[in-house]
Amino acid sequence: MPAIRTENLSKTYRTAFGKNETSAVEMLNLEVKEGEVFGLLGPNGAGKTTTIHLLLNLIRPTRGVAFLFDRPVSETDVHRRLGYLPESVNLHTYYRGRALLNFYAALCGVPTEQRESRVTAVLKLLDLEDAAERQVSKYSKGMAQRIGVAQAMLHDPDLLILDEPTASLDPVGRNQFREFLLELKRRGKTVLISSHILSEVESVCDRVAILENGVLKRIGTLQELSAGGSARLVVKDVPGSVMEALAATPAEVTWLQGQVTIRCQDDSVRQTIELLLREHNVEILSIESETQSLDEIFFSTIKRETGS
Amino acid sequence: MKTILLIAADGIRELIHQRLLVGLMLASLALTIAFSVFLNSTRKYVTESFSEDRTASESYKGNETVSETDRRKVREQMESASSAFQAGFYGVASFGGSIVALFIFSTAVASEIRKGTIRLTLSKPVSRTQFLLGKYLGGVAVMAGYALIASMAIVAFAQTQDVDLNPAIKWSPWLMFCEQLMLGSLALLLSLFMHPIIASVLAFFAGNGFYSPPNPLYFVLPSYSDFGVFFDVLLGTLVDWQHVAFLSLYAFDFVTIMLLLAIWRFRTKELV
Repeated sequence: MPAIRTENLSKTYRTAFGKNETSAVEMLNLEVKEGEVFGLLGPNGAGKTTTIHLLLNLIRPTRGVAFLFDRPVSETDVHRRLGYLPESVNLHTYYRGRALLNFYAALCGVPTEQRESRVTAVLKLLDLEDAAERQVSKYSKGMAQRIGVAQAMLHDPDLLILDEPTASLDPVGRNQFREFLLELKRRGKTVLISSHILSEVESVCDRVAILENGVLKRIGTLQELSAGGSARLVVKDVPGSVMEALAATPAEVTWLQGQVTIRCQDDSVRQTIELLLREHNVEILSIESETQSLDEIFFSTIKRETGS
Repeated sequence: MKTILLIAADGIRELIHQRLLVGLMLASLALTIAFSVFLNSTRKYVTESFSEDRTASESYKGNETVSETDRRKVREQMESASSAFQAGFYGVASFGGSIVALFIFSTAVASEIRKGTIRLTLSKPVSRTQFLLGKYLGGVAVMAGYALIASMAIVAFAQTQDVDLNPAIKWSPWLMFCEQLMLGSLALLLSLFMHPIIASVLAFFAGNGFYSPPNPLYFVLPSYSDFGVFFDVLLGTLVDWQHVAFLSLYAFDFVTIMLLLAIWRFRTKELV
């Protein structure tokens, strides 16, 4: 059973009188398996937060449906298995830390006799014990972020949806958070994380999806995504006419001591080059697939779409 | 029900931490008491000067005793001043309460959406209906507290100032409370469509006390004015319990309709 499933999920915003339409999410088909850490990537305005809001039923889809654990997101009860950390954590500032967590624990249905111990455990886990009796309005950004994580963890949910969780954390906080995510992964929790920080996603995510302008561009494991990526072909004794033809392709061609190295950015370029070489009976000495980092995958996807 | 109560308790907590609201409530009560002190001192002055005039004129005539007619006049004068004092107390408390109710209910949900705190609450197993009803209930509890404090203030003040409570004033806290809940439910509904300030103004002026037959608005807008006992208190008219029961049912009916409409609207409202 997938933890998250969307079918043709779309969200269009209309201006007054419906004159202009902006498509925030378009025909999104996504499936996040249980126990998977899934990264949702994309530049600003790609539709990541809108997708999360649709999954939380905070906004209604224009078309399509979304399910959490095979149940429609509109069913409130399915939220018992869900923890959510918004991009900007806005808390009820009139509480003290511990009282706020007690309130959320009660809302999550944590039994009264377990509530106090659960709250204490989460406060300890997130190193917030000293701030527990302090007014939430006096918390720093980092502390507010941590109490935000604490409220999402209180009821030990099966699925965590984290929207830009490290946006307001310093490098130390980010590192701690990465450890925290890895711990969740070890415990078999499903995590959907939207982030700008690609290195962070790369180190913890099993799979990633890249969104741009509300459209899903690529989805898969890092290996899958980089497999269709760049490759390096090495050839020898290339005639001048073929060199001219190669120069006309998007591939990067370098010549050194009679050996030509052709770097193909993606599968389609590689196929074109291979065809060209075969047509002219040029022997290919080796083909090496280049492993791309998530940064490279991300930027090549975005560049390809923008044509830059 | 437990979830609704949790949201309501949170709502009360939020409201008592709002400086503006607490300030409004205290200002309303302080104004009420100040107005009553002023009216009561006027009452004392009138009755004392009346007695002095009588005594002076009677001494001049050489009469030893005050006539029965004069005594009745003094009594009527005192009763009328006492009624004015109570009506004034009621009028200020009721108006102040209405402002407080408009503030509470029009911002109950709107401020949660504006601040973004609603996102965390609704990510828990809390339905939109539970959230809305909880917020309304929290407001009801605060308004009940306001009505209770206002009634305790008038009883305490009447006792210390030696004023007999008018029969109509005894129903006034309950009727004032009902009126404020009606006003609040309409403000809450309107705040789901527009800015809370505009919602408050519209809710206040939607009362058909501003319209009279044959204006069609009179028949479709809420009748807040029926809940007012200002003139009953001033004139010493008796307000019977059947009338109060009817008004209570009317308020319950109105609030139910407004809340159903608010739930219908809130279920499809975009919350970001």
